[in-house]
Amino acid sequence: MNEIQYVGEHLLPGQIGHFLLILGFVSALFATFSFFKAANTLDNTWKKLGRIGFYLHGISVLGVIAMLFYVMVNHYYEYRYAFEHVSDDLPMRYILSAFWEGQEGSFLLWMFWHIFLGALLIYSAKKWEAPVMAVVMIIQVFLLSMICGIHIGFGDYVYKFGSNPTLLLRDTMEAPIFANAEYLTRITGRGLNPLLQNYWNTIHPPVTFLGFASTTVPFAFAVAALWKNSYQDVLAPMLKWSLFSGAFLGIGILMGGAWAYEALSFGGYWAWDPVENMSLVPWLILVAGIHTNVIAKSTGYSIRSTLLFFILTFVLIIYSTFLTRSGILGETSAHAFTEMGLEWQLVAFVLFFLFLGLSLFVLRYKNIPTKPKEESIYSREFWMFIGSIVLFFAGAIIAASSSLPVFNKIVTYFDPGYIGSVIEDPIPHYNKYQIWTSIFITILAGLSLFLRYREREYKAKHLRKFFIRALVHALLAAAITYAASFWISYFEVRYILLSWACWFGILASLSYFFTDGIKNLKTGAAAFSHLGFGLMIFGVITSGLNTRIVSTNPFAQRGLVDDDSLSKVISLIKGAPMFVNDYWITYERDTIDGQHRTFDIKFERIEDSVVVESFMLHPNVQFDRDFKKVAASNPDTKHYLHKDIFTNIASLPRSQMDISLAQEIEDSLEYKPYKPSLGDTIYTSKHYGVVKDIVFNPSLEDSFDLSVAVEIEFKNLDGDQVFTVTPAVGVKDNMIFEIPEVIEPFNLKLFLQDTFFTRIFNSEDQLNYAIYNVKKGASFLYKDYKIQLDNFDNTIDNDQYNAQEGDVAVGALLSVQKAGEKEEQVQPIYILRNGKSFSIKDYLPEFGLHIRFEKIDPVNESFTFSVAQDVRNINPINLLIAEDVPRSDFIIFEAKEFPGINMFWLGAIMMMLGFIFALSRRWKEK
Amino acid sequence: MKKTYIIGFVCIAAAIAIFLNASGDVSTYATFSDAETRSKVKVTGTLDLDKDFFYDPAEDPNYFSFHMLDNDGVSKKVVLTQPKPQDFELSEQVVVTGKMKDEVFVATEVLTKCPSKYKDEELLLRAES
Repeated sequence: MNEIQYVGEHLLPGQIGHFLLILGFVSALFATFSFFKAANTLDNTWKKLGRIGFYLHGISVLGVIAMLFYVMVNHYYEYRYAFEHVSDDLPMRYILSAFWEGQEGSFLLWMFWHIFLGALLIYSAKKWEAPVMAVVMIIQVFLLSMICGIHIGFGDYVYKFGSNPTLLLRDTMEAPIFANAEYLTRITGRGLNPLLQNYWNTIHPPVTFLGFASTTVPFAFAVAALWKNSYQDVLAPMLKWSLFSGAFLGIGILMGGAWAYEALSFGGYWAWDPVENMSLVPWLILVAGIHTNVIAKSTGYSIRSTLLFFILTFVLIIYSTFLTRSGILGETSAHAFTEMGLEWQLVAFVLFFLFLGLSLFVLRYKNIPTKPKEESIYSREFWMFIGSIVLFFAGAIIAASSSLPVFNKIVTYFDPGYIGSVIEDPIPHYNKYQIWTSIFITILAGLSLFLRYREREYKAKHLRKFFIRALVHALLAAAITYAASFWISYFEVRYILLSWACWFGILASLSYFFTDGIKNLKTGAAAFSHLGFGLMIFGVITSGLNTRIVSTNPFAQRGLVDDDSLSKVISLIKGAPMFVNDYWITYERDTIDGQHRTFDIKFERIEDSVVVESFMLHPNVQFDRDFKKVAASNPDTKHYLHKDIFTNIASLPRSQMDISLAQEIEDSLEYKPYKPSLGDTIYTSKHYGVVKDIVFNPSLEDSFDLSVAVEIEFKNLDGDQVFTVTPAVGVKDNMIFEIPEVIEPFNLKLFLQDTFFTRIFNSEDQLNYAIYNVKKGASFLYKDYKIQLDNFDNTIDNDQYNAQEGDVAVGALLSVQKAGEKEEQVQPIYILRNGKSFSIKDYLPEFGLHIRFEKIDPVNESFTFSVAQDVRNINPINLLIAEDVPRSDFIIFEAKEFPGINMFWLGAIMMMLGFIFALSRRWKEK
Repeated sequence: MKKTYIIGFVCIAAAIAIFLNASGDVSTYATFSDAETRSKVKVTGTLDLDKDFFYDPAEDPNYFSFHMLDNDGVSKKVVLTQPKPQDFELSEQVVVTGKMKDEVFVATEVLTKCPSKYKDEELLLRAES
């Protein structure tokens, strides 16, 4: 077979990219080996070689990223990655989104942050550089193996390592189109999933991946400490880096929640989805590790647990990567990447580091320093440690439940007949444990602040002071919990307890912050974070537990509904207000702009039958490219200080969601012909209409060169509903269009047939012109019309006239008057071009009058006009009317109220600020 | 006794208690006949394409009913008191959560598994202009 010479392909970027992938992989291996040697031999030459390997690796990965961007920005669809993630119509502002939509791009983003962090570590880690960088680089080897696309064959069996993003489309799929040498001119990219065409997807992944990547550093320090059997001076850098990681991973997770709440139709910020869970778990363990690290640094206790927590954090990060990217979650998760055949590689990734971390830990267990005496129960470190254990438990429970699909899969390897089990009702399942861990943590977050490090025996005076302080805060917290019950409901005792615990934590942190925290920023940051945590959890009680469904209509039930499945949505008919839960809600109008359809929804809040507040919300839906599907539904939210009102288009009528379905529905309609004359009444089975009038150039959505409509007044048989419609026919660019009218409440659709047009408007060859000569200011009579030449105008404004050099063009201003009718103005045009004369007629559609400016006689100052009138044949008017047309003028609408949701966000932001304060404080410590 | 042991003991006890408690929250995917005896179940199966589904949002947007074949091949009417999920007709597999009530399965949740749009898509051809 002959090789096809393809036209228009750009092969160089792919060759460079492929080369850089291999170079990056090899240099990462080289750097790992060199840093390993440097760590073991303390030889500076090896360290230098390691750095060279690192820089080479960094440049290679950055080069691959640059190459991928290059082919994506230029829409080189010969590359699979460009083909899969961009398209001609994708706005450039989504190019970053498109880059990390695919697994390969997100792996590259992850590696990018490792390179950034690696550079910082080389600069700052001093004696820890070699062992820490050896760990970072071996991780980088694993990550790069996911995208380098090396094929290793064992006989007939070929195993593919990774999915190479620099490959050509025609090398990765088989399609007949590749037989065409010019296939590139015929394909376009698939583009970015509309759900991800959102600025959140530009900012959320880089922060989350910085969080992911930064968990590597405490892990690397932990491994380095175990490896070098040196534990004391590792605690300070480990704490800095774990605070850094805690901040970014936390912000990343919260941004995911904010995205889900603001821009996706989830209707909340947290759904206990496995993917969300598995990003939360490492963060919880990381925070447990931060606390034990603080203990270890201050007192020398808890070094073992610190190391173990940081090892587990990183292993859980890659475990969550395995869950999201291997497709194992299947139907249990709403958001996961598409499968890529990397399952076993990901399993190896997780197991390697789990084994590495744990075996080192077990091997060195006896060498890790501990204190001979246990912590006193009066000391802060004791209760901080208990808090860390609770955090660890919270994470472990979530991880275990989210891993059920993995467990099922493993068992089926041994017992193929095994039927996997699932959690029946995930949300209550997770909540019931996390309520208790939250209660413990919020209490401990407050209580531990009142205690001191290394307190061996509390003197009676101290002890009394401590109990009084705790008691005062506990009572105040109880008072606030009670007061809040006038605003929100608790439903169950455990929520009362949780609220009390939150307020205890909040108040204790507050009072600590203003007494001790102000003086000492280190503990001040902790108090600030704890305060934020308490507020955040209380925000969950107010906004999550007390979510109020506004859009519930108790009358639209069928008696089948359980207590736990209240109706959540209502149908809103365009223009028809509906009263639900204190609000008049009106779907006023909608506008289509590109692939978006935006709805204007008016809310009016009623108190004592008076409108006390009125506002508009604009949720929208985004269609896919061929308008066959609603690809994304984007909510809109009204924000108050004390609550949010969240609105979302839950669904649309079928004909409005799928253009092909709309056609199908149209084709299934049965149109009946009607032939009334002007003034006649027509009867359909449930309605009747009177043909009132003919309207010339009616106002229509599209503009037409010329159009005519029939005005019909329709009533139902009771006569209490009246609608006036104007089905029309119009001409644009010499094509006749029928413009139908729909009466949604009557389920009627009306067409005026195009033959009507030719019976109203005559073509030029059907006209008989009469000729008149007239002077300026004089008039003449054509039939019943008095036509007067008023003036001339040399500025010509007419679509049909294209001015040319040397033209003489004159417009005549004529007024036309028929007895008893309004006077009309016309402006026919006379043109002299290259010694030849033309005329452009003017037309009065209502009268059917055509008027031409034929000649100018300059000697006699006389002007020649020709006038003709359409011969009209109005009756019968040809109408087509369909009955039982499905309504399409309504939306399925969802509205919810989230009370106190700002407390959640404020608390979350404060908690993260606490991390950043602590980080900046620790960073200055030398 | 050392506090470490007490903490360890409490942790182990808590872990066992949670495990025993949580095992009540899980169950295997059920069939309609299981649903007769159990309170709340998840049933997997496929759409019964011989029978129509009903959804008239203009009348009641919170009522959607269809027929589903469970893994034993038994067909039952399922009622969901929520809007019809998108692309429902295309789904290969359906998971419904709920309980039986007078020969009708009343679902609180319906999960559908659709053929992935972004995977099996044909090459998009440029519109000939």
